[in-house]
Amino acid sequence: MINKIKATKSEKIIFGFLISLAIFFFGSYFLIKDKCLFVKNYDPQNISFDNPQNIVILNVSCGNVIIELYPNISPNAVKRFKTLVSSKAYDDVAFHRVVEGALIQAGDLEFGKKNNLDYGKIGTGKSGLGTVNSEVDAPFDFDKGSVGLARTQKYNTEDSQFFILLKNEPLYETEFTPIGKVIYGLKALEKIKYLDKSQYVLRPDFINSLRMLIN
Amino acid sequence: MNIIRSFLLLFLLTIQVQANTIYNLIKIPNLEIYETKTQNKLRYLYAKQPFTIGVNNNINCYNSNKKDLDDKYKTVKKNLDRYNHKFLKKINLKYIVLCEDLSISKINTAGIPDHIMKTLILDINFNQNYFERVIHHEVFHAINDSYKNLFDEKVWSGFNDKEFKYAKCSTCTDKLGLNTYTNTMGFFTEYSRSTASEDMAEVFSHLMVGSNLENIDPILEKKIQFIIINLQKIDKNFIL
Repeated sequence: MINKIKATKSEKIIFGFLISLAIFFFGSYFLIKDKCLFVKNYDPQNISFDNPQNIVILNVSCGNVIIELYPNISPNAVKRFKTLVSSKAYDDVAFHRVVEGALIQAGDLEFGKKNNLDYGKIGTGKSGLGTVNSEVDAPFDFDKGSVGLARTQKYNTEDSQFFILLKNEPLYETEFTPIGKVIYGLKALEKIKYLDKSQYVLRPDFINSLRMLIN
Repeated sequence: MNIIRSFLLLFLLTIQVQANTIYNLIKIPNLEIYETKTQNKLRYLYAKQPFTIGVNNNINCYNSNKKDLDDKYKTVKKNLDRYNHKFLKKINLKYIVLCEDLSISKINTAGIPDHIMKTLILDINFNQNYFERVIHHEVFHAINDSYKNLFDEKVWSGFNDKEFKYAKCSTCTDKLGLNTYTNTMGFFTEYSRSTASEDMAEVFSHLMVGSNLENIDPILEKKIQFIIINLQKIDKNFIL
């Protein structure tokens, strides 16, 4: 004969506590793991733009980043960027250089592709279209969200690599060629993977896609 | 090849992140922005802490107190405002670093131009009597570094008396006086006698501060014309 044993009040409390703890633990695990949890994803179709022909959509792991290009400031650089975007050249390209809270850099089409990543050469790759002359004379505030073409130590060496600022950098004016500004979704870029001890990222995040709003 | 790449990768991944934009741009540590909104687009930086740079860490400069910095900045800016953006771009000068007790290999110096890095380091406490002239003197070195072919030292030396010879370097001599001669005899100052490039810089700086050019001797007159003609070649609108 089996006697039915009733749980005491204290045992019920402990059991309830353990169940709550388990729910909290697993809940927290999935919440913390989701780095994009509090990042708003912008749908460009729900936004009206003054210059839709100059809008590009950068899709990253945490959603869309909407960038307005300024061809009136840097016509040649923007033309190059649009050419590469239109050919889908930036898809699956690494954010190979990331300085926490300062900038992210991507666009090495030669050594930064997901299926052809070369850590020894990343950052030195070319697009095959040649270089673009620096366009640094027009006034431009390099504030948070500014997008510019990267170059080597010398001027007139811009090609396909670009950077996006995560903080104001007034000294970049007349140093780098600006091409536009992020107008929505900068938060998604703050979640791009970085390392504490290096600007160059091992196993980096990648651009999912980069498209013109209007082809 | 893979080993080299591995070492390169290891190096890139172990160096400390240097997020300091100023350091990334001009390779001088411990600087902060003083002023960037200037008409000629010069960027003024100051030493927040002492810094050491150069081959064998032989260049040193120290931070100033705020009052000195504010006072001297006005003087520096007033003088450098005379060079427009177009001219500064031609001579590759963009960053002015303000600090004090500047020295190279423990020898005090007024300024150090580096036209590759587009930088001029200025000692704001160097010789208060001639501080404004010294600013232009150092700017000339930036001009000269960018246009060595124009400011030919052999041509320049040919203006002097045949028996005169410059020292091998500006620190290889004790001719350091900056007082302007009343009787010039080919040179504005004692320091002019050190080297050809220092002589040119002295002529240029005297022209820039509007020194009295009456009673100039024929040798110095030739030197003045040489400087003026070559400046016009760099920028025909340059105003002395």
